[in-house]
Amino acid sequence: MANVLEVKELSKQYSKVLAADKVSFEIGEGEIFALIGPNGAGKTTTIRMISTLLQPTSGDAVVAGHSILKAPEKVRESITYLPDEAGAYKQMTGIKYLRFMAGLFTSDIDTLNGYVDRAKNICGLGDRLNDKIGSYSRGMIRKLLLARAVMTKPKLAILDEPTSGLDVLNALEIRKTIKKLAAEEGMSFLLSSHNMLEIEFVSDRVGIIAKGHLMVTGRTDELKERYNAPNLEEVFERVVKENEIH
Amino acid sequence: MKFINLLKKELTELINAQMILGLVVSLALFWLMGNVMQSVTSELAEDAKNTNVYICDMDDSDVTHELIKDMESNGAKVNKVTVNGEDYASGFKDNSFKSYVVLPKGFADQLTSGEKPEIISVSKLKSASTFSGLTGGTDTTEALINKYVSIEISKQKGVSEEDLKHIESELTVVNQTVVADKSAKISSGVVLGKITSTNMILPIIIMVLILMTSQSLIASISNEKIDKTLETLLSAPVSRGSVITAKMLAAAIVALINAGVMMFGFSAYSKGMTGAITSDLGVSDKVGKVLSAGDAMKQLGLNLGVTDYLIVGVQLFITIMICLAISIILGALVNDSKSAQTMLLPIMMMVMIPWFVTMFTDVNSLPTVPKLIVYAIPFTHTFTAIPNLMFGNTTELWIGLVYQIIVFAVVMFFALKLFKSDKILTMSLNFGQKSRFKKNGKTIED
Repeated sequence: MANVLEVKELSKQYSKVLAADKVSFEIGEGEIFALIGPNGAGKTTTIRMISTLLQPTSGDAVVAGHSILKAPEKVRESITYLPDEAGAYKQMTGIKYLRFMAGLFTSDIDTLNGYVDRAKNICGLGDRLNDKIGSYSRGMIRKLLLARAVMTKPKLAILDEPTSGLDVLNALEIRKTIKKLAAEEGMSFLLSSHNMLEIEFVSDRVGIIAKGHLMVTGRTDELKERYNAPNLEEVFERVVKENEIH
Repeated sequence: MKFINLLKKELTELINAQMILGLVVSLALFWLMGNVMQSVTSELAEDAKNTNVYICDMDDSDVTHELIKDMESNGAKVNKVTVNGEDYASGFKDNSFKSYVVLPKGFADQLTSGEKPEIISVSKLKSASTFSGLTGGTDTTEALINKYVSIEISKQKGVSEEDLKHIESELTVVNQTVVADKSAKISSGVVLGKITSTNMILPIIIMVLILMTSQSLIASISNEKIDKTLETLLSAPVSRGSVITAKMLAAAIVALINAGVMMFGFSAYSKGMTGAITSDLGVSDKVGKVLSAGDAMKQLGLNLGVTDYLIVGVQLFITIMICLAISIILGALVNDSKSAQTMLLPIMMMVMIPWFVTMFTDVNSLPTVPKLIVYAIPFTHTFTAIPNLMFGNTTELWIGLVYQIIVFAVVMFFALKLFKSDKILTMSLNFGQKSRFKKNGKTIED
């Protein structure tokens, strides 16, 4: 399995605080990788660096063969990014928003229409796409944004807390969509979440991050076995304690 | 105790660094306005105490010599002014005085024949500010002459009731107004009224345009930051330069549409005002042919041509660009909807100060420090552009334009640098708050 993302000792120093400290991991084609950790662990900083939004202090990441330092514009062609609790333009209708966003990825009208049709199918909002986004519920906005993030079939879709603030049914639907896209279309995902039980369900592999350090990566089953824990939350607890001792 | 606790919490929320900053800015504004008014009122006070009288004695007769002696005996300090023929502008060789009275040829003849003689009042207009017309008039001189003339006529004719009426009738004054090296037969008050009425709206248009443009761009950037749509945009395959250029261009287009609509309304208003002013010239009908305000403006070179309007247009465009560049920086500082409103304050101050100052006085007449502060505000030069063009102060106009271009280049450089760096996402203005890094010993973001 070829790697879509290779993160190499990525660090970010904010003033006196080291937000990410030599974070390294990789994501294979069609793989769902989740960075898990509490609030303030460095998940968003790492994701923002990979998304070319922030300049790393040191290290590099290669997305689909392109370095975030040397060819950020090429990286942006290969990824899509869905920020945590992101909104959309409230005055636009859902369909106009999809067309606007698709227009940033292609100038070809047929390709653009293809992207929008795909998004329409994925979000399942039907006629509500003709309504202004301002009238959407939080779940509807999240579905629209997820559809936007995957409509261009990016090599890597980066989703920061994709289900935060959603009810059980909406969260479940989004998780199923992510799993389906990875399994059927071979799309790779980098997720972040502080909800470890949810991640256990959706991801192939996880990376546990705390205080800017990526402490361990591995398949959920492997980690549970290695740390003799019934779920990821307890794996996380043991990993953090182990690292404090050392 | 519970109430005190509640009150303390409410006060802590209300009295914050933003409020204190607002107070400091307001105080600074009042200090500046105080200085402006002080310089204007001190000029008025000095003018009231001034015993100097400026006379051009074209008649050069025994009667006029006697008149001048009489004025001096009344406490006036008479200064002689020399004029070449009817070139009244030549009388103002230095800038020590703003007006003078001409005793024309035939003054003595008219007086000896028992008639009230004609005199000419010449005033130099240097700026279009409201207070510039209040100082340096010829009222004192006119009163002194009228007094002398009245006595002379009463001596000649005896003081009958009819004669007294005649003697006390108003002096026929022909007003001449000089602008730069041109003069026109019209009172400076009428010219000033015409300029004020036609130019009153333009500064308001400039002010509204700047505020609307800034507000829309600050709101656009801050909304994108708060909704995190900016992160989505910046992670898409488009350059940051094109994101910011699109924002600026859209705001500039909207500003130009607004400017077009407002200028259209302004021209309709201006036409209406021209009719009103021309029909009320305020000059005695007895004095032969009087110029209309429009003709006088033309003769004095106060009417703006196509080139002048082009220059004003260019200056307005640069002003909008400066305002957009500043707005990008201010918008980037926003981290919530409350701070988005506060961010308009600096722009508001930068518009209100030059607007008030140029409305009431000539910036050049301010004391050095306030003058430098006012001139340092880039928008001042937009407010002074039209008066500078009208009064031929081309050096000031070009210096202002060049200064604005430099300010735009500098601010735009920093705005682009900011937009292309991490700071567009991480920077925020936290008045009086410790950085979240320092407070928690952790990270700004996750």
